[in-house]
Amino acid sequence: MKPLRDWTGAVLRGPAACRLLARMGIDARRFWLLTDLFGQLAARRELMSNLGHNATALRTSGWILCAMSGLMTLVLVTVHPHLATYLAAFLGLTGFLMSGVLFSEAGNSLVNPVEGLVLAHQPIDGATYTAAKLTHLARILLYLVPALNGIPALGGLLIGAPWYYPLLHLGAAFALGGVIALSCCAAFGWLIRFVPARRLKAAGQVAEVVPWTAFVMFQNSRGLLRHLHMPHWMPTDTATLAWIGVAIAAVAACAVAMGLRCLSGDYLVRISAIAGGSSGAKAKPRHSRTGGLVARYFGGPAARAGFEFVGRMLRRDWQFRRQMIPMLPAVVWVSYMAASGWRTSPFSGTFTVMHVAPHLFGMLFFVICPLLVYGSDYKGSWLFLLAPGGAIEPFARGIYAWLWLRIVVTPHIVLLAAAVWVWGIRDAALFTAYSAAVASLYLGLELRLIDGVPFSKPPKPSGQAILFPIMMGGGIVAAGAVAVQHFLLFRSPAAVLVTAVALSAGAYAATRSSLDAFATAIRFNLGLMSAEAKPLYTEVG
Amino acid sequence: MSTGESAPIVEFDRVVFSYNYTEVLHEVSFTLAKGEVVGLLGPNGAGKSTTIKIMAGILSPGGGTVTVTGLPLPERAVDVKLRIGYVPETAMLFDSLTGQEFLELSGRLHGVEEDALQARIEAMLETFNLLSDRSSRLDSYSKGMRQKILIAAALLHNPELILLDEPLSGLDVNAAIMIKDLIAALAAGGKTILYSSHVLDVVEKVCNRVLIIHQGKLIADGSAESLKASTKESTLEDVFRSLTGAASVDPGVARIVAAMAS
Repeated sequence: MKPLRDWTGAVLRGPAACRLLARMGIDARRFWLLTDLFGQLAARRELMSNLGHNATALRTSGWILCAMSGLMTLVLVTVHPHLATYLAAFLGLTGFLMSGVLFSEAGNSLVNPVEGLVLAHQPIDGATYTAAKLTHLARILLYLVPALNGIPALGGLLIGAPWYYPLLHLGAAFALGGVIALSCCAAFGWLIRFVPARRLKAAGQVAEVVPWTAFVMFQNSRGLLRHLHMPHWMPTDTATLAWIGVAIAAVAACAVAMGLRCLSGDYLVRISAIAGGSSGAKAKPRHSRTGGLVARYFGGPAARAGFEFVGRMLRRDWQFRRQMIPMLPAVVWVSYMAASGWRTSPFSGTFTVMHVAPHLFGMLFFVICPLLVYGSDYKGSWLFLLAPGGAIEPFARGIYAWLWLRIVVTPHIVLLAAAVWVWGIRDAALFTAYSAAVASLYLGLELRLIDGVPFSKPPKPSGQAILFPIMMGGGIVAAGAVAVQHFLLFRSPAAVLVTAVALSAGAYAATRSSLDAFATAIRFNLGLMSAEAKPLYTEVG
Repeated sequence: MSTGESAPIVEFDRVVFSYNYTEVLHEVSFTLAKGEVVGLLGPNGAGKSTTIKIMAGILSPGGGTVTVTGLPLPERAVDVKLRIGYVPETAMLFDSLTGQEFLELSGRLHGVEEDALQARIEAMLETFNLLSDRSSRLDSYSKGMRQKILIAAALLHNPELILLDEPLSGLDVNAAIMIKDLIAALAAGGKTILYSSHVLDVVEKVCNRVLIIHQGKLIADGSAESLKASTKESTLEDVFRSLTGAASVDPGVARIVAAMAS
């Protein structure tokens, strides 16, 4: 393996490759200096927020995606579809997953260039810097595309594909990944060129939502497409269609080329403005009444500190918001489903979308709780080292209070108000009580997934890549719970009432126990932090 | 220290810069000649670091024109960066690199030949008493050691213009004296130095010209002696206080003490 790696390295750094880089406007010497620097920083765990620079995270994501695609191959080989359908299914999955991961990684690299501040005054041109910065996207492709397509490529042979099919399959997947990577970089090139630096991070996050929501919208727009009667106004002859296709491809290629050109211009000159850019919006000084109530009932000023800290950081922390973006399609989908089916009472005997609602809280907390400890401003967590020991428990209770009041209680009050009007008082009150108890139980249990002080650790790069399989797994568990609930519970309002009371008691006990565990986790992590204070200071940005 | 009469090394002409719609530089104009050591003074938030960052090609001016060593900014930023040395106000470094590795990176990015680079690094580390720590990671360095590394990195490629933003921050007395002597020696060798600092007596000693920026405007430009004469003050500190209204800070101090006791 080592001789092959040495040979590849020699070829890549050889005169031919350098001439090619120079032709693209990249200074080969500085490009390799920067590539080596980023590799060295990643190896020494200083530059960890990029997936492509973290071999462990890449391997973990690769194995998870490999298992997922293996299962899918098993199912499809059993069904024995047409080869073109089989290939299209895996290319579609590759396109969907890679666009999400690469878009997010390109955004994290280009609109959050933390190391750029150290290099801003060095004589490096924008093209060289961005090329070196984006080589990690190539590493993501090299790990994740084979992980997603290796087994399916071989599986094709089991449904009668010719001997060369695995090569064709992998080649097509790599080509698709390459096009997606270039398109992602180009999209951010356009953004960086035209969006003011102070709005760039917010614009980047909106852009990251696009591939995910486009997928969901496409799923739910078939009716609209039928309504437009597209075949009537679309040309029918093959030659015209081919020309339209070629024209669209040419425009897309030009847009990508121009976007990449935008990246290479004065990018490094503007990097300070990009890295230090903030919205400029000024928060009004507010004294929330809920904060006062939390201080009174959850443990004093420290509880209020936890409540308000988490509430503000959840809204403002760039890395946290970025990691929550893959949740948005689920939110769009649920909103769509809820809008179409919520008028039927869950006690009507038929299955409705409301039967799923309580378990969505479980999935939401399943995503939020583990991610809560990661944030952009983790270096500020030294402040918690100065907190007196007795403040940790109320601080933890304050964090719980925010999650419970804002995510569980508030939506259920809204639900109750709306449902009373549509379902009647009995059904509305019973279902709301049941749903709130289920959601509280989920929160009580999943609170244990918060491993330390919120927003006190640098972001975990594998999060984006493995979130989709985790959500799929969570969805399967939730589907099982919904089925049990539908067939065994919602046949009798009395059974629902008894279960709601039992679940509430369970939620109370689980929350008490989890709050103790949460406070212990905070203490443990603060202990680690004070024993090894270096992680607070070693990473740039 | 001589004020040369050749073409200016830096020309700032009616430069404007804004952060989030707040204008922090309002039509600032000045020039720096070859061999000058110029002090840049001003209260916090006056626009000193912004001025230096624009000169270093790190920020793009919002209006006006900037030329450094005859090259326009930001168009020729890469070429300008090859000709300047910059010590930033905050020691932004790659902490997992060693001192030697950071200096090598900086020198190689500036295109310094390998033999010359190693010789210069050796000399710098020896002068700054860092030879024994050359293989230690920068995260184990003290604030003063990190500052020395930044100063060494700024000088490795023998720049024409040296921009120093609070260079004595964190340095011990001996190192500070050495830097002051170094500034004088570099100026004597024809280097142009822009020195931003809050330590006014040091500026008075090492600089032959002083620029004072207040609220984004250049309010004074001249030698320390001429500024003292024009304001009828006896020290540069008094000149600074009278021009920037620094005397009005005392009520603020009283308010803080009162708030702490409430």
